Amino acid sequence: MRVNPDVYAGVNASIEQSEESLQTAMNQLSSGKRVAVPSDDPLAFSNNVQSLAQSAAIDTYTRNTNAVVAQAQLADASLSSVVTSLTQAVSLGAEGGNGTLTSTQRSSLAQQVQGLLASVVSQANTTSNGVALFAGTSGTVTAFVADPASSTGYTYKGNSASNQAQVGPALSTNVSVPGDQIFTSTSANVLGALQSMVTALQSGSSDDIASATVAVSSAIAHVDQVRAVYGSTVNQLTTEGDYLSQETVTLTSQQASLVDVDTATAITNLTQAQTAQSAILAMAAKILPSSLLNYLQN
Amino acid sequence: MYGLNGTLSLASEALNAESGALAVTNNNITNVNTAGYSREIVNLSASALTGSGGGIQGNGVSYAGYTSVRDQVLQIAIQQKTADSGSLDAQSTSWTQIEAGFSSTTSGVGASISQLFSSLSSLSTAPTDAASRQSAFAAAGGVVSAFHQAASTLGSARTQADSNITGIVANINQLTAQIATLDLQLASSKAPGQDGGSVEDQRDQLTTQLAALTGVTSTTTDTTPSLSTTGGTPLVIGGTAFSLQVTKGSDGNTHILDAQGTDITASLTGGSLAGALTVRDTGIPQISAGLDTLATQFAAAMNAAQVQGFDGAGNTGTAMFTLPASGSAAAGLSLALTDASGLALSSDGSAGSSGNLANLLAVQTNALPAGQTPTDTYAGLVQSIGNASQQVSTALTASSAALTQLTTQRASASGVSIDEETTNLLRFQQAYTAAAKVVSVVNDLYSTLMNMGVGTP
Repeated sequence: MRVNPDVYAGVNASIEQSEESLQTAMNQLSSGKRVAVPSDDPLAFSNNVQSLAQSAAIDTYTRNTNAVVAQAQLADASLSSVVTSLTQAVSLGAEGGNGTLTSTQRSSLAQQVQGLLASVVSQANTTSNGVALFAGTSGTVTAFVADPASSTGYTYKGNSASNQAQVGPALSTNVSVPGDQIFTSTSANVLGALQSMVTALQSGSSDDIASATVAVSSAIAHVDQVRAVYGSTVNQLTTEGDYLSQETVTLTSQQASLVDVDTATAITNLTQAQTAQSAILAMAAKILPSSLLNYLQN
Repeated sequence: MYGLNGTLSLASEALNAESGALAVTNNNITNVNTAGYSREIVNLSASALTGSGGGIQGNGVSYAGYTSVRDQVLQIAIQQKTADSGSLDAQSTSWTQIEAGFSSTTSGVGASISQLFSSLSSLSTAPTDAASRQSAFAAAGGVVSAFHQAASTLGSARTQADSNITGIVANINQLTAQIATLDLQLASSKAPGQDGGSVEDQRDQLTTQLAALTGVTSTTTDTTPSLSTTGGTPLVIGGTAFSLQVTKGSDGNTHILDAQGTDITASLTGGSLAGALTVRDTGIPQISAGLDTLATQFAAAMNAAQVQGFDGAGNTGTAMFTLPASGSAAAGLSLALTDASGLALSSDGSAGSSGNLANLLAVQTNALPAGQTPTDTYAGLVQSIGNASQQVSTALTASSAALTQLTTQRASASGVSIDEETTNLLRFQQAYTAAAKVVSVVNDLYSTLMNMGVGTP
C-alpha cells in the first residue's frame, strides 16, 4: 500500500497534541484543580457543589454554636451575680431575724435588701447586642420594669417563648431561658422573695423575716437550676463544636479529593508532556527537511 | 517493415509521450500543496501492432492523457465524517461557553442559595439585629441575580446559536453556487464516464466544505450530478443551485426554508447548521427548563415559609420572591421584599422571635416538588451541563480522529509524493534522452546513407 506522502500534517497534529497535554498539565499544576469546569468530571463537579453547600451549612452551625455559647456564658455570668446577691440577702435576713435589732437597724437592712433587689433587676435586664437576654422572644430592651401596682414592684415585659438556633444537621437548641421562668417563676419567685424580705424587714415580724429568708433560699436553688440548664447547653455545644470542626475537615478533604489535582500526578504528567514534546520536536527536525532531492543534489 | 522514416516517427512519438509524462509530473509537483488535489498519473500505451504473420512489429507508444487517482467511496466517507465533526464542533463551542458560566464554586445559584440559608440561620440568635437582617435580605437579592446570571448565560448561548444559523446558510448558498458553476464546466468539458481532473478535485473540495456546514448526499442520475441535504432537499441539480433561505418564525427562532419556501429546519442533520439547531432546540431548552423549575419551586417554597411567619413590624409575612407571569422563571424572578424588615422570622408576631426560621430553613433540607433539595437540584443541573459538554467533546475527539484517519487514507491514495515525482521525473527524463538518442542515431544513419557512394578523394 502507498503511504501518505504528506508528513507535514501529521507532524503538525502531533505537535499540537503534545502542546495541548503540556498546557493541560501546566494549568492543573498552576490552578491546583483537576476539575475546573463541569465537563472535566461532571459527577465530581456536581458532588463538589453539594459538598460546598454542606460546608456552608456546617460553617453556619459553627457560627450559631458560638453565638449561643456566648449568650449562655453571658447569661450564666448574670445569674452568678444574682446568686451572690441572693446569698447576701439570706445573710441580711438572718441578721434581721435577730430580735435585739432596733427598727432603725432593720430599716437599714431593708434598704440594703432593696439595693440587692435593684441589682438583681439590673442583672435580669442584661442586654446582648441591644436585646434583653431574659425577655424571651419579645425583642424588648427592658425585661423588667418598675411597677408600683405589682406585688413584687416589677412587671415582666417579655414573653415565655424561647428562640431556637440550629446548631447541627438535626440539632436545634434553645437560645435562652425566658425571664419569667427565672425571676418571677410561680415555684420560686426571685423578685417576689426579695420584695417580701424588704417588707418583712420593714415590718419587723420575725416570722415574716424567717419565711422570707426561706423563700430567698429556695430562689437561690431555683436560679442554680437555671444555671445548670445553661451549663449543660454550653457542654452540649462544646461537643457539637468539636463534631462540626471534625465535619469541616472531612468535607474539606472530600472537596480536595473531588476537584483538586494530586500534585505528584500533575508533576509526573507535566514531565511526561515535556518529554513527549521534545521527542516530537526532535523527530520533526529530523524528518521534515529530508526528501530524495537532498540526496540527488550531491 | 520500417524504414528510417518509420523509426524516426516512432522516436518522435516517444519524445511526445515522454514530454507529456513530464508535463503531468510537473503538474503534480506544482500542485503538491493544493488542498483537495488528486495526483495524476500519465496514461501511456503501446500502439497497435502492424504487419502480419512473421512480420508483426511494435508501433511505438501513444500518449493518452492522464487519470486523477481518486476514491469516490472514501470521498463520501470523508464528507459524512466532516458533517459529524462540524455538528459536534458547533455544539462543543456552545457547551464550553455555557459551562464556563456554571463553573464557579463561589458564585452562582448553588452558592447563593447556601449563602441565603447561612445568613438566615445566623439570625436565629439575633433576629432583631439590623446588620444581620440586612445581610440576609442582600443574600435573597443575591439568589435572584444568580438565577438571572444563569438564565442569561443560557440565553446568550442560545441567541448566539440562533444568529450563527443565518451566517451558515449564507455560506451554504455561496458554496452551492460555486459547485453549480463547476458542474456546468464539467458537463461541457468532459465526456460522460470520464474523470474531470482538477475541476472534479475542486468540486470534491467544495462539497467537503459544504458537508462541514450541513450533511449532504451526492448522487448521479444519467451523468447529471446532484447534491441534496441528508433530508432530501435539493441543493444543486445539473448545474443549477437552489438557495436556502432563513426566516424568523413566530417562536422567535430562525427557521430554514428551501428554495420553494418549505420549512426544512427539522429535516437537517450534520454540519455546524444541525449542531447549532441541536443546541438551540434540544440542549439549552432542557437545561433552561430545569433551571426554571428550580427557580419556580424554590421561590414558591420560600414564599410559603414566609407567610407562615410575621415580619419585623409584626405583620403576617409576605412573599419573598415574585415569579414572572409568563416566560422564563429564572430570568424573570424578582425580589418581592422591599427591605430587610420584610423577612418573616417571627413565629408569634413578637419582634425578637426567630421561630419561623425553622420553616424558612426547612426549604434547604426538604425536597422540592421536583424530588430533590434545591442544592441537589442545582448540582444535578450542573452535572447535566457537564455531561452534555463532556459527551459532545468526547464524540468530537473520536470523530476528528476518524476524519484524520480517512484524510490520511485519501492522502495515501491521492496525495502527491515529491519523492515519487522526483523518481518519475528522472525516469521520463531518461526515456526522453533515450528517444532523442534514437533521433540522433537515425540522423547519423541518414548521413551515412547520404554519403554512400561518395568516394573519399
